[in-house]
Amino acid sequence: MTGATATWTAYETTSAALGALAAEGATGALSGERGIVYLSAGRVVHAESAFTPDLGALLTRSGAVAPDGWWDAVDRGGAQHRVGHRLVDSGRLAAGALEVCHLGALFDAAYFVLAHDTRAHRFRPGAAHWLGAVRSVPVDAVVRESGRRRALLDRIWPDSAVDTAPLARVPGAGGADLPVRRVRTLTQVDGVRTAAQIASALACRTYHTLVELRRLAAAGLVAPAPAPAPPRTRAPDPGGGGWQDPDTALLRRLRDALEAL
Amino acid sequence: MPGIDESLLEAMRLPGARGASLVDWISGLALGAVGEAPGGDWEATAAETAELARHVAESGSLSAGGAQAAAEPGKAPEVEDLIATTADAYHLLRFVSTPFDSTVFLHLWLGRHDGNLALARIRLAGMAERLVLG
Repeated sequence: MTGATATWTAYETTSAALGALAAEGATGALSGERGIVYLSAGRVVHAESAFTPDLGALLTRSGAVAPDGWWDAVDRGGAQHRVGHRLVDSGRLAAGALEVCHLGALFDAAYFVLAHDTRAHRFRPGAAHWLGAVRSVPVDAVVRESGRRRALLDRIWPDSAVDTAPLARVPGAGGADLPVRRVRTLTQVDGVRTAAQIASALACRTYHTLVELRRLAAAGLVAPAPAPAPPRTRAPDPGGGGWQDPDTALLRRLRDALEAL
Repeated sequence: MPGIDESLLEAMRLPGARGASLVDWISGLALGAVGEAPGGDWEATAAETAELARHVAESGSLSAGGAQAAAEPGKAPEVEDLIATTADAYHLLRFVSTPFDSTVFLHLWLGRHDGNLALARIRLAGMAERLVLG
């Protein structure tokens, strides 16, 4: 397959480049603006994003694996790309638990890589992740799932500012009788942290945190924190207005009106 | 120690088993599936059953006393399983408790004619435990 992997550059989006690499049966790491997708023989074997906790964070911060045990597996298995196997072989983690956590991290990171589906930056042929083979997923399944996840978020509450902005609790709003996961998420909303930071603090997958945060936004409990006051030196807008952030109260009224139809 | 596929294949050895899957009840993703899909499409089945499971998992009435579990990541909801019966089938959904953040359940589809619901419920509980504890 000499030179075959050069064709990925012809594609405008990361998802299309992944599709081309999958068709070639390529092995390597494709970097996009928000993360990296690792392929082996054309299938997705891992993904990483700065927006999502990695496998080590999910396992150690939850207490599922002691940090010493995790780093021991990385030290002993990293060079051979067998960290996952080391965790299981040394009895620190059950095989099924590794697979469930790994797929959770893979789809979580892939969501963020593909949510911002711009042109891929670079492909490193032959690059493998130090975690090693755990489970692999077809590229089209990952792309389809990411699209489905995006649609699910928009059905819950169609304001994507919740996903990236610092978040604040809405003053005076209640919060009693919420499900356990939503309460845990709500307690981390402090006017400063973003969804990714909240996910990291909770050792939770970021997409799953976004789901809770959008439900909290839909319930009127959480909103993007007010932006700091604009500098006074800014020239007045000659157009008299211009584009503004979507107003969540307006969105809420719109939703209520649509539901009442 | 069983992985996801081994656990699902073990579930398929139960009398009357037609299909088995492991599904994330927040995202609606099927992490694995073997056998026949109810309705013919595992992705659609997973998305639908996930929505059902989420409502039950988040139900304050059904998981009475669930507030105790508030602080632990990945702890399964207080509800253990859901059972739906139709004229010709049983659907058994078993929540899986993990020591890290996950929101998954096992879904077993049994033919009603030769399936044994009581046996399947006991065995699926054991499989859910071995999947994450080895």
